[in-house]
Amino acid sequence: MQERLDALLSAARAELSVATDDAALEQWRVTHLGRRSEVTGLLRSVGSLPREERRAAGQAANAARRELEAAFETRQSELRRSADGAQVDVTMPGYPVRLGSLHPLTRTLREIRRVLAPLGFRAVSGPEVEWDRYNFELLNIPADHPARDMWDTFHVDDKARPGELLLRTHTSPVQARVMEQIQPPVRVIVPGKVYRYEDRSAKNEAEFMQVEGLAIDEHITMADLRGTLTHFVRMMFGPDRELRIRASYFPFTEPSAEADMSCHACGGKGCSVCGGTGWIEILGSGMVHPKVLADVGYDPDVYQGFAFGMGVERIAMLKYGVTDIRSFYRNDLRFLRQLR
Amino acid sequence: MRVPFEWLRELTGIEASVDDVATRLTNAGFEVGAIHRAGEHWDRVVVGEVARIDPHPNADRLNLPTVNTGSEEIQVVCGAWNFEVGDRIAFAPAGATLWDPYADEPVLKELKPTRIRGVVSRGMLCSTKELGISDDHEGILVLDADAPLGRPLAEALGGEVLEFELKANRPDALSVLGIAREAAALYGTKVRSPIPEARPNKDGSSESVVLGIEDAALCARYSAALVRDVQVGESPAWMRDRLEQAGVRPISTIVDATNYVMLELGQPLHAFNWDTVRGGFIGVRTAQPGERLVTLDGQDRELTPETLCIVDAEGPVALAGVMGGLDTEVTEKTSTVLLESATFDPISIRRTAHRLNLRSEASRRFEKGLPPELTVLALRRCVQVIEEIGAGRGEFLTADAYPAPSDPAPVSLAFDRIERLMGVAYDRSEVRQTLSALEFGLDEDGDELCVTPPFWRRDVTAPADVVEEVARLVGYERIPDTLPTGQVMDLAPGEIDERDDEVRDVMAGMGFAECVTYALTSEARMARLVPPDLLDVPPEAPLGDADAWAAMRETAMNDAGRTLTDRLLPLDREPLRLRNPLSTEENALRLTGLGTMLETLRANRRHADRDLLLFDYQPTFLARDGDLPEEPNFLTAVIGERVSASRWNETGTVELPFVRGVVDELLSRSGVPVAEASHDGLQHPTFAAGAAAAVTSKGRLLAAYGEVDAEVAAAFDLDERTWALLVDMPAVREASAGAPLFSAWSEYPSALRDLAIVVDAEVTQAEVQDSIQRAGRPLLQSARLFDEYRGEQIPAGKRSLAYALSYAAPDRTLTDKQADRAHNRVVRALQHRLGAELRG
Repeated sequence: MQERLDALLSAARAELSVATDDAALEQWRVTHLGRRSEVTGLLRSVGSLPREERRAAGQAANAARRELEAAFETRQSELRRSADGAQVDVTMPGYPVRLGSLHPLTRTLREIRRVLAPLGFRAVSGPEVEWDRYNFELLNIPADHPARDMWDTFHVDDKARPGELLLRTHTSPVQARVMEQIQPPVRVIVPGKVYRYEDRSAKNEAEFMQVEGLAIDEHITMADLRGTLTHFVRMMFGPDRELRIRASYFPFTEPSAEADMSCHACGGKGCSVCGGTGWIEILGSGMVHPKVLADVGYDPDVYQGFAFGMGVERIAMLKYGVTDIRSFYRNDLRFLRQLR
Repeated sequence: MRVPFEWLRELTGIEASVDDVATRLTNAGFEVGAIHRAGEHWDRVVVGEVARIDPHPNADRLNLPTVNTGSEEIQVVCGAWNFEVGDRIAFAPAGATLWDPYADEPVLKELKPTRIRGVVSRGMLCSTKELGISDDHEGILVLDADAPLGRPLAEALGGEVLEFELKANRPDALSVLGIAREAAALYGTKVRSPIPEARPNKDGSSESVVLGIEDAALCARYSAALVRDVQVGESPAWMRDRLEQAGVRPISTIVDATNYVMLELGQPLHAFNWDTVRGGFIGVRTAQPGERLVTLDGQDRELTPETLCIVDAEGPVALAGVMGGLDTEVTEKTSTVLLESATFDPISIRRTAHRLNLRSEASRRFEKGLPPELTVLALRRCVQVIEEIGAGRGEFLTADAYPAPSDPAPVSLAFDRIERLMGVAYDRSEVRQTLSALEFGLDEDGDELCVTPPFWRRDVTAPADVVEEVARLVGYERIPDTLPTGQVMDLAPGEIDERDDEVRDVMAGMGFAECVTYALTSEARMARLVPPDLLDVPPEAPLGDADAWAAMRETAMNDAGRTLTDRLLPLDREPLRLRNPLSTEENALRLTGLGTMLETLRANRRHADRDLLLFDYQPTFLARDGDLPEEPNFLTAVIGERVSASRWNETGTVELPFVRGVVDELLSRSGVPVAEASHDGLQHPTFAAGAAAAVTSKGRLLAAYGEVDAEVAAAFDLDERTWALLVDMPAVREASAGAPLFSAWSEYPSALRDLAIVVDAEVTQAEVQDSIQRAGRPLLQSARLFDEYRGEQIPAGKRSLAYALSYAAPDRTLTDKQADRAHNRVVRALQHRLGAELRG
């Protein structure tokens, strides 16, 4: 009996493997699983066997039948799959997914915050319309000081206090605002919009974003400033970046430094991005001027620290290869979708 | 400031290359913005001699010079006439590269042989503009007679010029000597000062010059020197070359000498024609009412009382530090000159120069604050230069008024202060050597260092200033990288709300593209948010007056509209205006971002026909009397007519419920659940009638949304249906319940029942929903609207609403019977309370 079943199974399997359409499959099913099929016949004939053989023979025949049924189903689904496969063009585009986008400046600001947060810098904000006192005087830039020429200023028409209200020219006034309210240690960054009375061009905006950094404590040094900036440019622009700082002048820092990073486009060999110099100017910085500390009520013999300020558009332009600063404010969807 | 490199070398003896010097000065804080190399492009331009000049046969205005280049003779066509046979000139043969004098931007172009009016020109006699030396294109450059014939022009004329971008704190560096001091300190050489020793005046020759300084605060020092036998004429070539390289136009001997000394030492000088100064007197005082002066530029100016003037015995002869007077100008007839070298109050000069818009090389130096010690040194040098070029003979000092002499104060600091600030050690000998190289006087008392700045370094007043001198001269390369240690803060004042990030994320997740727009706008742009017939106002007050708005509030708004106008769309408020706008298009700070966003939508519509979903989340500015304005972050979103549907080219039309879905999601994600916000009809001129809603919670307006009025949309050039959403996020935050709380749901299967009813069209969905919720308690879990129908199949004035209801009990599986019983209660309540009929 078992030999017959084995022979039957192998013959049926061979036939099944060459059945390639529904008709052949149905024909096979009738032949091998139908009422007149051999396996059905064998099952029926079990009753006529001697009693001691019946049990084993019945089990064997049933197993064979189940095996045939399973083979049939497997073959059937195989054939279905290949038939469907022929109908689907997997190169068709997907249906439109309406996902929006964050502005590249928002993304850049978040990245700056993310890089500096682990160093203890908390992000704070301050008013965009500011008093002259905070924008200039408390930053060691008294009225009629020639350094005021460094910031072309929009003045707000204000009858109540004429000449005092302006659009902040940098985020630095928030330094004074924070220090007035709390005692050291201070470690903040200040992202936000600033304004310059300047004609708009590919290189200059009348409105743009800045991020200010400020760290004040008893022992914060210029080396800490340099280390913080090096960490920053490497996190933003890659671990191979080198930082160079050189002497500069800002009324609210002493010593002051401008920071350049080795060009991320050419690695410092010189290219069109860095104007052939291998270096890209990235921000201004320095040790907070003792006068600024004293004016907010800190003892400059006890406390010291650093400040830095950078243009967010400039960072974003370098990161994304944007060449016209005004692109950020045109809000063309083609631009916004590219840089999301 | 432009410094000829060869001049810098002369004063320092530095042998290093121009690039090396530029780099080291830049790193030390004297940023070299550019190195101009005169002659960089003159590869074929040579010194030529005019051998012959023939007339042009076909043009009276042209001539035909023949140029001898030393090796050949070449005839060219020329339009200039300022040369003679035998003159040495700059000659460019065909093939040379020159600057195009007619281009707006600097453009180099190659010279080709050309036929001009029938004669072939095989080269060109060059002007200074074509050579890139100056902007002067009148006539060709005639060289000195001893210029070497046939040699490349670069050898005869060339040289590098360093262009510095100098900082406001170093007036001493606005001079070749100042830069030379820095360079010498960096390279360890000694400055060769060009200032001569003092010499006595000749007996009896001194005519009296009486000086009168009225207010020492406005003029710390006034020094004067007389120069006689003045010869006004052209200065020698070496002086003209240096002036031109430094960017100053040569004029005549005396003026050139004063400019030369200003460039060299940083002290501006002025020359008066002494013959025309009345009464032998020079005074310094502010102008008196009604006084006038005709200045060198020919303008007759009325002098305001704060203007600092130089006067003679009878009245003003110059604007101190800003511009001389025409009457006392040095001319070719002048025989005696009085040289003025003074220290004026920086603020007074700055104000006058700004007020008259007359900012010059002189005023730029005065307004940064010059040391009084410099006046007499500059006079000596100037008289010496005048004598050297044969333009007169003079006294080194004729008169000097210095009412209140002062010296720079010494600064004390502990040696270890330097390491404490910089985070790196400097040894004492290095500190001493660095400061000495910069000519600081040093005194030591144990660990304490007492530093006396040289007279030209009045910017050094505090220990940090001294630290900077040491650090920058040694070089910032010394500074290592460390990270700040110590405590960090718990919470900073004004900390940025992290939920602002979430607002942006939620909007982007719903398909909106974030825009960052300008805060500056115009009142006209904001006025376009109201249909023009409602706000019929003159262009100078585009946002209208109080009366127009009072009328509009009365007739064109309901309560919701008035509340919207109170804050979220406050178009009847006075915006903050700029005193000095860049243009009338951006003369005010925005009261709302909606106008700008509609413009942005329009601009994007030009290249996209669907999925225009934009939002802006930046401050608006609401003025407050006597205080800074409030700067709330209002969210402004705009939506175009069509959005993508589920297949490639299917689009749907935006309807009010589309916007409502956005509002619900944003508010519930911000802590205001849908059930706690009520939506009421909004009547406001910016929005289309019957297609806008206001969202309030606990009586406070949180948001407004709807279709933009067609006339308003048209004012922004939008001819399709446009939707807008305004959200007062600060108000939402206040209404927010904070972090969401967990509430458990039934673990047993729900029984679902659909319900379709017909009600009067006036019955709102909110009323139906409310009735369902009340009657369905406690088993009803949710009632979701899935259809609305009005039309043929139901009576006029009615509408049909269909809901999917879900029932469940917390502790057991509901039987069909129990679910039916609960559902029937809902049906009966709707029939009873709202007159609803069950449909089909």
